[in-house]
Amino acid sequence: MFGSIFSGAGFWDAGAWILAFLSAGGAALFIRRMGRSDYKKGTDQDEIYYSGNVVPDAEIFTVPASSAYWGFREALKSYYSHLTALHCGIATEYVGWFVFTAALILTFVLV
Amino acid sequence: MKLMNHLPALTLALPLLAAFATPLIAAVSAKARNRWVTCVSALVTLVVFALLHRVLVHGTQIYVMGAPSWNISLPSGFAIPVRIILEVDAFNALAACAAALAQLAGTIYGLKFVKKFTGLEFYSALFLLLTAGTMGMILTGDLFNFFVFLEISSVASFGLIAFWRDRPESVEASYKYMLVSQLAAQLVLIGLAFIYGRYGVLNMAAFSRAVQPDLISKVVLVFILVALGMKCGAFPMHMWMPDSYAEAPASVTVMLVATSQASLVVLCRFCFSLYGTAIGSAAVPWALIVMGCLSMFGGVSMAVVQHEVKRLMGYHSVSQVGYMLTAFGVGLLALGDAAAMNDYGLAAVSGGLYHMINYILYKGLLFLCAGALYYVAGSRDLDKMGGLARRMPVTSVLFLIAAAAISGLPPFNGFVSKWMIYESVYAVHPILMVVALVSSVLTLASFVKVYQTAFLGPERSQFAAVREVPKSMIAGMAVLAAAILVLSLFPSWTVNTLVRPAAEALVDKASYGAAVMGGAL
Repeated sequence: MFGSIFSGAGFWDAGAWILAFLSAGGAALFIRRMGRSDYKKGTDQDEIYYSGNVVPDAEIFTVPASSAYWGFREALKSYYSHLTALHCGIATEYVGWFVFTAALILTFVLV
Repeated sequence: MKLMNHLPALTLALPLLAAFATPLIAAVSAKARNRWVTCVSALVTLVVFALLHRVLVHGTQIYVMGAPSWNISLPSGFAIPVRIILEVDAFNALAACAAALAQLAGTIYGLKFVKKFTGLEFYSALFLLLTAGTMGMILTGDLFNFFVFLEISSVASFGLIAFWRDRPESVEASYKYMLVSQLAAQLVLIGLAFIYGRYGVLNMAAFSRAVQPDLISKVVLVFILVALGMKCGAFPMHMWMPDSYAEAPASVTVMLVATSQASLVVLCRFCFSLYGTAIGSAAVPWALIVMGCLSMFGGVSMAVVQHEVKRLMGYHSVSQVGYMLTAFGVGLLALGDAAAMNDYGLAAVSGGLYHMINYILYKGLLFLCAGALYYVAGSRDLDKMGGLARRMPVTSVLFLIAAAAISGLPPFNGFVSKWMIYESVYAVHPILMVVALVSSVLTLASFVKVYQTAFLGPERSQFAAVREVPKSMIAGMAVLAAAILVLSLFPSWTVNTLVRPAAEALVDKASYGAAVMGGAL
């Protein structure tokens, strides 16, 4: 039904993957069914466990998007300082990069 | 008169005429305007799909505008075509289908998304004009006609990006795009003047027959490459893209994505079908590959640190264009070498083309989901969002589909096109595949961030009253999601029936010329 694509080095079959996902999903549901069934909604079992402390507001509790991958950005600090400087938002620089690229490629192609 | 013969002309005439009629119909009522634009959009989509079917069954279609007979490109006594000709093969018909789905999704989504704003008669007219410009760029077989449609789409884009004119940022984004667009348009115009001065033709097929690898032709190609490279968001000329995509209404952004790809369609047409081996050296393919790699990595590394959702997606657009440029550069490198073309060249072109179609669909859907977040949260800042999956389950699932597709996760369509690109670019140099793979990992990382911060986590008190977006917005998103699922579930049908014939049509310079000029060389 789904068919395979052959690249010469391998093949891709969406049907096989979907079958694998369904099998894994079925296995996960089976394991879940084997678990305890005495969970009570609306009791303490329903609360977030925060090392025994009161759960703070969502704004404090969650990691904001601007803090995500902080380590990645710190590790590449100098790369990002150059890259963000490039995206200064000044319109004349947009034009400058356009002219620079045109000149560079023209030189590359003609020389 | 057989209507099917006139499908190429109808694809352009419908949105163009409808655009000018829209302000008049809008004077009747808002409901009449909404029904009108929806009907026109649906009709354009039907016409484009019928055109693709006709091309796949009967081969390349030509349409001579204004001639007594629609299919006689060379009346007796003429050595070159003098009328405007539309030339539709499997390549541009497929691209037109993706653009048609984008405009349909944008139209349906926009019915509610921009409902509370004023100036909607002009919004609708400009949207249809943008559709006409985009379709014209994709389908035309005439160089000056291409320039006209490029300008039509640009002017419509300027107005639509600045639709929220009370926001200084929107007006600024539109102004910046206008500045670089007009510079690019000048470069295109100078290039076309060079072509006419050197060869005396403006028809694309006639130019493909005449072009020689001389100085003038190389200068023209560089001008076109840089101008259209900027329009499709190639690094380092991409800066307008995150600005414009972020500030335009989401229903417009989905169409801007298709318009940027129309530029890439024409760039490919120039490189493969018009120049082909007349490019003369490997400099142009390598320029494309280098720009592609810089776009892939530069775009995604800027995206991963953004916390404004549409801006993040705008940088991702730059990165996705990089995949296509790299693939097309590799395909161009193999042109003229039958063994290399058979080995990896056609796979690279197919991968790039498949990725282009995928990109229009999943990036369009992502922008619509970002618009849905803005619609309910009143902000595009991810720092101010959280826990919205409970309130917006449908949007959440649709976002997940698009995010998985753009990240190249199996079994989605993005995986298949990326896989084809990885394998083909590896044949030229493994480093190209490494750049593509690393970019893909960073793409996944940034969309995990978006999903986690916007949809997951504890619910915020200010969103307690939030409900799922209106049905028309969901319907707009569903159009693109359905197309993504079809391409994901039937990859071999997609590749064998749609992508491979399109790639073969693109690289077959002789057939492109022969469809208009006849068999004699």
